[in-house]
Amino acid sequence: MRSQTYRDSELVDFVIVGSGAAGGVIARELSQAGMTVVVLEQGPRISPQTRRHDELADWYLGGFTNDAVKNPQTFRNRADKQAAVQKFKPALWYGRAVGGASLHYTANFWRFHEIDFIERSVLGAIPNTGFADWPITYADLEPYYTKVEWEIGVSGLAGASPFDPPRTKPYPMPPLPVKSSGVLFERGARKLGWHPVPAPMAINSQPYRGRAACVHCGFCHGFACEVFAKASTLTTVIPEAEATGKCEVRPESYVFRIETNKQGRVTGASYFDRDRRERSQRARAVVVCANGAETPRLLLMSANSQFPNGLANSSGLVGKYLMFNSNTRALGVFEHELNEYKSVQVTRILHDFYDSDPKRGHYGGGGLDARIGPQPTTWAIRTATEGPPWGSAFKARLKEFPRSMQVACHGTSLPIESNNITLDPALKDAWGLPAIRATYEDHPDDLATARFLQDRGAEILEAAGALRVTKAPITAQTSSVHLLGTCRMGNSPATSVVDRYHRSHDVPNLFICDGSSLVTSGRGQPTMTIQALAFRAGEHIAHFAKRGEI
Amino acid sequence: MESHDSSRRSLFHAFAAVVAAAASPLGWAEISRAIDHAHAAGQIGTTGNTSFLTAAEAADVEAVAAQIIPSDDSPGAREAGVVHFIDRALATFLSQLAADYRTQLATFRSSYRERYPGTDSFASLTADQQIEHLRRTDQTPFFATTHLLTMLGMFTLPSYGGNRDSVGWKLIGFEDAHAFYPPFGYYDRAYPGFAAEPEIK
Repeated sequence: MRSQTYRDSELVDFVIVGSGAAGGVIARELSQAGMTVVVLEQGPRISPQTRRHDELADWYLGGFTNDAVKNPQTFRNRADKQAAVQKFKPALWYGRAVGGASLHYTANFWRFHEIDFIERSVLGAIPNTGFADWPITYADLEPYYTKVEWEIGVSGLAGASPFDPPRTKPYPMPPLPVKSSGVLFERGARKLGWHPVPAPMAINSQPYRGRAACVHCGFCHGFACEVFAKASTLTTVIPEAEATGKCEVRPESYVFRIETNKQGRVTGASYFDRDRRERSQRARAVVVCANGAETPRLLLMSANSQFPNGLANSSGLVGKYLMFNSNTRALGVFEHELNEYKSVQVTRILHDFYDSDPKRGHYGGGGLDARIGPQPTTWAIRTATEGPPWGSAFKARLKEFPRSMQVACHGTSLPIESNNITLDPALKDAWGLPAIRATYEDHPDDLATARFLQDRGAEILEAAGALRVTKAPITAQTSSVHLLGTCRMGNSPATSVVDRYHRSHDVPNLFICDGSSLVTSGRGQPTMTIQALAFRAGEHIAHFAKRGEI
Repeated sequence: MESHDSSRRSLFHAFAAVVAAAASPLGWAEISRAIDHAHAAGQIGTTGNTSFLTAAEAADVEAVAAQIIPSDDSPGAREAGVVHFIDRALATFLSQLAADYRTQLATFRSSYRERYPGTDSFASLTADQQIEHLRRTDQTPFFATTHLLTMLGMFTLPSYGGNRDSVGWKLIGFEDAHAFYPPFGYYDRAYPGFAAEPEIK
């Protein structure tokens, strides 16, 4: 099937910047509503079925993510420090291909809970943070969570978790088969009186909507699914958008400026095409879905005399309140083999410590899951940093691979204004555009929560009968794949960038929806919520367009 | 335990330094394409000849790699052909590391010549001498680079020139297959099925 193509000079209804978790969904929603849409994607369109379980190419040499040389970044933990150039893996790592990070994510798809949206009201203010309620509630988002589960495809067991928020429909597919890590996690957690449940995953446990069931090859985390069982937007909503005949996805189209007119409205987007020619696509409205790092960067790069601090930035909050989610792990070695390198990463999770509890002495909560994490090369490199790094003792540790698992711990990050994305004043990318400068330092409560969760993880492994349990050192984070909060939603133009419908407060025909929209961090696993927001935003934006309100 | 921790930290920092050095001048996307080209041309071979390292350098690098993952009752870095991977990598898809690595290697060679006068080959030292010398030098950039390249050569796809006959994967019990079926391990064999706990609260 050939999809629609448009000329740059044609006035389309929407330009969408980015084709990842959010952009792909909104492209489908708008094109199915009859709108003409051009999706401009930085990266190429790859064929996942041609990938080869190749750790060297896909993990160590960059694969289909942002490139440390062509897309350089600098990182510092505080504004008074010199930001260092990130020369290998960039500090902020994201997909740079059609499908974005939904190509290489792990596909953990738990919903945020009711508390996530109203936590500020329930717990009160936290000094020196931007801790705030969302302008929408869980109930507002519930229909769209359900939509993600059924349209994107999520395997899981409704009603299993006593902590789950209310839902209107069960999952469309049963959970994936349990792994040994899941069995041990369940055994240990139940001994402790906790509530492990089957993990909701955006991976098919049975054939679904024309895509195959998982073949348990084990290459999810950091890799593109060769059989399309893991739901990327490349293999789900984007083909559906193209099938409308209204949507063109234009790869290798790197947007560097959103154009505006004298009336303060956007008129389209300028971009470099694959031959690095400057081009400009006209549109009645623009939706930015470029991720929590690239979205604020683009708005800041779009500054002009009318918008001297960047587009949609009268609040000064574009790029601010960057949140990563804390993550740490406890490792366990068991008597018999688990073979965790097989199948999906996670088959059991636990939300007993999801809510913040004042008795712990700090803000924060999180979720735990059972997995191994890396494939062989990364296992070996990580093992060298966590024990004897060479010689026969190292070799002996390497051999524990099939008998090892970890409890991964995913926690809250508080929104802090000084954690942010700015334009690096000196460093340029390969196109001559200002590089991303990230500034990030975990709040002490985030590190305390990580420690608390890691201790619970270690207890689960002990209770499950591990021969040996170790805790990875907890240090301040200097990199992340969760890029959240940098164009937050809110009712007030003074304290947020977009409104409850993702329309920018400052520019009436500019919409922003991706990880940047989040007001608080949740407890990790943000993609499910990003996609629920995208389904909701797409529906509302289509209504606005039909009513002539863009 | 304390000294062990500090050596781990140093090694970790050394990794970071190597990894930072590994970035220029080629972009990773170009490197990736170079690998694909090398594959297409069948250039990544497993012959005894080297293309970047001299024979003497290769012998030393192989001896160091063989101390990182020794050969004992099971094959180690030597049998995996790690030195051929390293030579190939430095000549092609990691050529941007080559100049620094040659300097690091020269520093390493001076260090053992100084300690064992009259020796011109690390490989010719006894195993105990090799281990003793590496304990003194395992926080240098040379060791960190060699370690990283040894891991890549031991465990990435055999088509890149290392991990011969999948000995790295066999060592750690990893099987590369397009598909697996449950049960995956010992503990999920007799799993009775998920039963929800009674309601809390």
